[in-house]
Amino acid sequence: MTEAVEIAIHNLNFYYAGAVQALKAINLDIMKNQITALIGPSGCGKTTLLRCFNRMHDLYPRHRYEGEIVMGGRNILAPDIDLIDLRSKVGMVFQKPTPFPMTIFDNVAYGLRLKGIRKKEELSERVERSLKHAALWDEVKDKLWASAYDLSGGQQQRLVIARALAVEPGVLLFDEPTSALDPISTAKIEELVIQLKNDVTIIIVTHNMQQAARISDRTGFLMLGEIVEVGTTEKIFTSPSEKLTEEYVTGRFG
Amino acid sequence: MNARQKRKIENIIALSLSTAAAGFGIFWLLFIVSDVLMHGVAGFSAALFLSDPVPAGVEGGGLRNAFVGQLMIISVAALIGVPVGLLGGTFLAEYARGRQIARIISVLADIMVSVPSIIIGTFVYAILVKPLGHFSGWAGSTALAMIMIPVVLRTTEDMLTLVPWTLREAAFALGAPYYKVIFQVVYRGAATGILTGILLSIARVVGETAPLLFTSFNNAFFSVDMNGPMPSLTVSIFQYAMGPYDDWHAQAWAAAFVITLAILVVTVVSRMIIQWRYKK
Amino acid sequence: MLLLRYIIWMKGRVVTKEGKRNPADLFFLMLTAIASCSILFLTAGILIVLVKSSSLAINTFGFFHFIVSQEWNPVAEVFGAASTLYGTLVTTTLSLFFAIPIAIGIAIFVTEVAPASVKTPISMAIELLAAIPSIIYGMWGLFTLAPLMSNHIEPFLQSTLGTLPFFSVLMEGTPMGIDLLTASVILSIMIIPFTASIARDSFELTPSFVKESAYGLGATKWDVIKNVVMPYSKLGIFGGIVLSMGRALGETMAVAFVLGNKHEITSSLLDAAATITVSLANEFAEADSDLYLSSLFYLALVLFLMSFVTLAIAKLLLLRAERRYSR
Repeated sequence: MTEAVEIAIHNLNFYYAGAVQALKAINLDIMKNQITALIGPSGCGKTTLLRCFNRMHDLYPRHRYEGEIVMGGRNILAPDIDLIDLRSKVGMVFQKPTPFPMTIFDNVAYGLRLKGIRKKEELSERVERSLKHAALWDEVKDKLWASAYDLSGGQQQRLVIARALAVEPGVLLFDEPTSALDPISTAKIEELVIQLKNDVTIIIVTHNMQQAARISDRTGFLMLGEIVEVGTTEKIFTSPSEKLTEEYVTGRFG
Repeated sequence: MNARQKRKIENIIALSLSTAAAGFGIFWLLFIVSDVLMHGVAGFSAALFLSDPVPAGVEGGGLRNAFVGQLMIISVAALIGVPVGLLGGTFLAEYARGRQIARIISVLADIMVSVPSIIIGTFVYAILVKPLGHFSGWAGSTALAMIMIPVVLRTTEDMLTLVPWTLREAAFALGAPYYKVIFQVVYRGAATGILTGILLSIARVVGETAPLLFTSFNNAFFSVDMNGPMPSLTVSIFQYAMGPYDDWHAQAWAAAFVITLAILVVTVVSRMIIQWRYKK
Repeated sequence: MLLLRYIIWMKGRVVTKEGKRNPADLFFLMLTAIASCSILFLTAGILIVLVKSSSLAINTFGFFHFIVSQEWNPVAEVFGAASTLYGTLVTTTLSLFFAIPIAIGIAIFVTEVAPASVKTPISMAIELLAAIPSIIYGMWGLFTLAPLMSNHIEPFLQSTLGTLPFFSVLMEGTPMGIDLLTASVILSIMIIPFTASIARDSFELTPSFVKESAYGLGATKWDVIKNVVMPYSKLGIFGGIVLSMGRALGETMAVAFVLGNKHEITSSLLDAAATITVSLANEFAEADSDLYLSSLFYLALVLFLMSFVTLAIAKLLLLRAERRYSR
């Protein structure tokens, strides 16, 4: 099976507030239809890197990118990129479940409506599809018009995933998606993520090494804004090349 | 007696005093409200709402013109004040969040909330009454709107800030532009709080007299012409209460009762809504 | 003209959040920006207009002379602010003097003493009292309190306090009920709920674990209040007091009924007097000469400056208190 590169990062440097360098010389290939995990100690830059893929940093003043992130043949860090278009291709799921103050249906339909889809039948069909995709359909099919806040934490997170899936992105970013959930919900979400990789490319940031070992195909280990090592998950966790990597995954520091 | 006993006695004295203080405060509330109730109900009659004032010294008549006038003035004031306050608060909490200008405006607005309302009256007199040469309902509404704006602006700002930031990020991540995020996500999340703030601001201006004294002035006749002096309930209460006739006093009490009741109802309902919504 | 340039400049200073700005977004941003500027225009506008309108009086009477001159003669067209300033300051100070201990007592009661079942109704009652418009207090003051004062309370005070050497001067004259004392009492009843509510909020900011440490050492409730809660809330309480002062300074309708509007500095609390607000309320619509009107505007300007400064100080204190607590 040939592996296709979905996203290629070339020499990425990132600066916060003009001066603080948060990412140094990042070179990384994200493979299509695989789960790439980003691990590392707190403050190592993994979330910062994640947020470059959908240019979330652009919401805040005085950020600076240097280098390229090439996706679909284009450098998405270029100033002439339509961010709204980018964000419909690259979805994001956050740490805490963030359902909008609307009904379950409206939550999932939100991204679709933003794209201009108005017809009731089409919306219903796509909402149902996304909810099934997110393994939530059976639990909510009778209460699509209830408030999203009626759902439990784990269900809300799956709702958010359904919402992100509805616009059919090619890439889905997960920022520590289970750190606010209980173990059972966490297991369900992990199962879901593994299934999703057949349709989307997934990049997941996680604090939980065991989670990365469980679900990802490739893993990148970051420290102090630099990539220390990247490779298949099996290699990183069983026979890493770098000493630092070995020390981190064996828990010598964290 | 040792130190411990002394402290125990001090404790009892102090706590009793504070209970007495609370009792004292509640006593006045009950006293005032029941007094207004008694006097108000005594002067209550259908005529109060249905007839207009009769010439001074003649018995009877009502305050229909004042009720209608007050409603009109308040409506126009709300039409001006609420949108401006709402949009202004949105600017401070969203586009300008954390910036110096937002903090300056916020502090200024807080100060303006408590500025004497009669000063607003003199200000509007100078810009809308004197140059035009006559009192007007528009001037009265403008004065009230100027009192409402800082109140609505600050409550909007506070309520919008309560909405967690990640909610906005989630909407951005789906590709929404900022104004859509505000309308579709943030406003929805803060809706109850903002509405309550608006209700409370209206309750506040309903009882205002001083700013109307020399802007909309008052009118002994029924009038819906906002270009001239407009009758208002509060100013009528002032004139009637200060006047020499018992009849007038009775009507003033009845009108005062209606206003107090309206304000109390709105305040209680608003507080209950806030409690219910934000207690979870 | 100038405003437009200012708005454009301001817009440039606001952060550009996206690579490409959506025109609808830009429009909404400008709309909200202009709306928020209304506050700036309001404040500046009031100041400018008041100064302009009182310029005639300022030129005629100057500053210092206006402040200290007692004379207020519409016929001779000689005006001075001293009498109204005196009335304003006396009513404000006296009302605070009555209100503050009671308000703090209420706050202590609500936060520490009251059982849970009583807490909410009393809290609600305080909020309702604060919502009652001042004209109701004024009316009630005129019809109920003033007779009460003139028939019972004031004669009582005259026969007791009035016999003591210092207080006798305060209690001279025939108690008619329309005087500084009655006005101050009404004003204090008005301020109490407001002050109590701010004091209560300040008290509630004291973290429980600090109080619990004190209780754990064997302190009584009053000990904890006196030595832990109150020092902790000092800034907030002080800010609340100054804020109440700012409110009291500008109160019109509550005092208009029971003060009389007599422009004279009187040493007795049982005499009618005038405050700036009451004079404005009574005389503004009747002022027949330019100088008269201008002098009234001058009074308004003085009041505006006084209350603005007071409220600004209060706000700064409350901001400091907030910053302290969120550490």
